[in-house]
Amino acid sequence: MFAQTISLFRYLLLGILSKRLLILVAILSLVALLVGSFFSELAIINGDAIVVALIADILRYSLALLVLLLVATSVAEDYEFRQFERLLTMPLARWQYIAAQTMVIASICLVLMLPVLLVVSIYSNWAVGIYWAAAVWLEVFLLGLLGFLAILSLEKIPQAVFFSLSVYLLAKLSGLITLMLSESVKLSEGSATSRFVDSTFGAILYLIPGVESFAENDVFFEDIDLLATIGVQGSAVGIYALFLLCVCLIDFYRKEFNL
Amino acid sequence: MRRSERPLLQLPGPLLWGFLVLLAGQILFHQFRQASTAAHYQALTKPLNASVYRGIAMGSEHLMSYLLVVRLQLHDNQAGRHFSYAGIDYQLLIDWLEQITELNPASEYPMMLASRVYSQTRDHGRLRLILGFIQRRFDDNPQLHWRRLAEATVIARHQLEDLELALQMAEKLARQPATVVMPAWARDMRFLLLANLNELESAIAIIQALLQSAAVTDEDEQRFLQEKLLDFQQKLFESQQTSKNYL
Repeated sequence: MFAQTISLFRYLLLGILSKRLLILVAILSLVALLVGSFFSELAIINGDAIVVALIADILRYSLALLVLLLVATSVAEDYEFRQFERLLTMPLARWQYIAAQTMVIASICLVLMLPVLLVVSIYSNWAVGIYWAAAVWLEVFLLGLLGFLAILSLEKIPQAVFFSLSVYLLAKLSGLITLMLSESVKLSEGSATSRFVDSTFGAILYLIPGVESFAENDVFFEDIDLLATIGVQGSAVGIYALFLLCVCLIDFYRKEFNL
Repeated sequence: MRRSERPLLQLPGPLLWGFLVLLAGQILFHQFRQASTAAHYQALTKPLNASVYRGIAMGSEHLMSYLLVVRLQLHDNQAGRHFSYAGIDYQLLIDWLEQITELNPASEYPMMLASRVYSQTRDHGRLRLILGFIQRRFDDNPQLHWRRLAEATVIARHQLEDLELALQMAEKLARQPATVVMPAWARDMRFLLLANLNELESAIAIIQALLQSAAVTDEDEQRFLQEKLLDFQQKLFESQQTSKNYL
C-alpha cells in the first residue's frame, strides 16, 4: 500500500516538475533581486536589511501564487482527463490519492524553496536564510493544501484560485478587517448590524489560518528567536494542514465517479 | 524581395491631412501634459493611522515602515524634478513621521530624516516643528535616538540660534541615566551651552560635580573637562573684574 502511494506520488510529481517551471522560478528570483537592488539605491540607512526583506517578500508571494496555480492546474487536469475514474479502477484507495497529492505539494514547495534559501542566505546569513526558507515552505504548503481542497471541491481553476486567494488574504488581512469592524461598531454607536458583522467575522477567524501560520518578515530587522518562531508556526500550520486534509478526504470520499 | 510602394502624394488627401492633424495633436498633447506635470507639485496627502498600515502590511510591518519612509523621502522628487522643501507641508510631514515611527518604533530612519534631511529648511517655524518631533520621539528610546537629539541641539544652537531650546535638549541628553550608553561629548554639550549663555557659574559647578563624582574615567575626557573648567573660571574672573571696574 505504501509502495503504491509512492508510485502515485512520483507519477503526479513528474506531471508538475518541468524545465519551464525552473526557468520561471529563476526569472522570479532575478526580478526580486532587481527590485531589491533598486530600493537599496534609495534607502539612506538600513539598505541591506530593506533589500533582503523586500526580496524575501516578493519571493514569498510570487511562489505562493505559483504553487497555487500548479496545484489547481494539476488536479483540474485529473478531472479533465478522467484520471480519477482510471485510478479508481486500480486497487487504490481514495485516501492514497490525497496522500500522494499532499506529498507532491510538499515536494514542489521544497524544490521552490531552494532558490529562496540561496538568495536570502547570500543577502542575509545562513541562519536567517534557513529560517525564511522553512517558514515560507510552511506558508506555501498551507496555501497549496488550501488550493488542493478548493480545486477538489469546486473542480474549476478560476473558482478554486479565487477561493484560495480569498481565504489567504482574509487570514493575512484579518488584523486590518478586525480593526475596521471594531471601528465601525464604535462609529455606529454599537448598532446591532455592526455588532453582528463583527461577531460573524470573529467566528470566521476560527476557521481560517491565524497570523502565526505565516513567515515573520521582521526577522530581517530585529533579533528574533528563530527556533521559537518556527516552532509556533509549525504547530499552527500542522494543525490547520491536518484539518484541511480531513476536509479533503470527506469531500473526495463523497464524490461520485462514473466508472 | 522588397514590395514596391506608392508615393505618399498618391494617397487619399483626407488620410494624409488626418495623419498630419493627429500627429500635431499628439505632439501638442504631450507638450502640454509635460508642462502641466512639471509645473505642479503634488502635495503630501494625510497619512493613515499606523494601525491601518500594520493591517495592510500583512505581517511585514517593519518592511512596510521602510517602504513608507523611502516613499516619503522621495516625495520632493516628482516628474523628474526636485522640489524645494519649502513646498512641503511640515505639519503633514510630521504626521507621516509620527505614524511611521508608531508602525516601527525600532527604526531610526524617520528620526534620521528629520534631523538630517528635513532640518535643511530656513523657515524657523518648520524647523521648530522638526525639533519638536525629535524631542518627543527621543523619549521613546533614548539609546536609539541620542544622536538625533545631539544633532537637534546643534541645529537649535546654530541654525535656529535659540540657545534656550538648545540648552533644554542638551539637558535632556545629560539627564539620561548611565545605562543609556553615549559618548561623553553628548552629555558635555550642556555646560558648553551654559557657557554660551554666560551661565559660567552653572557650567563650572556642573564640571566640578562631574570631576568629583568619578563618573568620568577616561583620561582625555578628564583633561578636556579640566581645561574647560580653567577656561570658564578665567572668563568668570575676567567678567567679574570688568564689572568691578565699571562700578
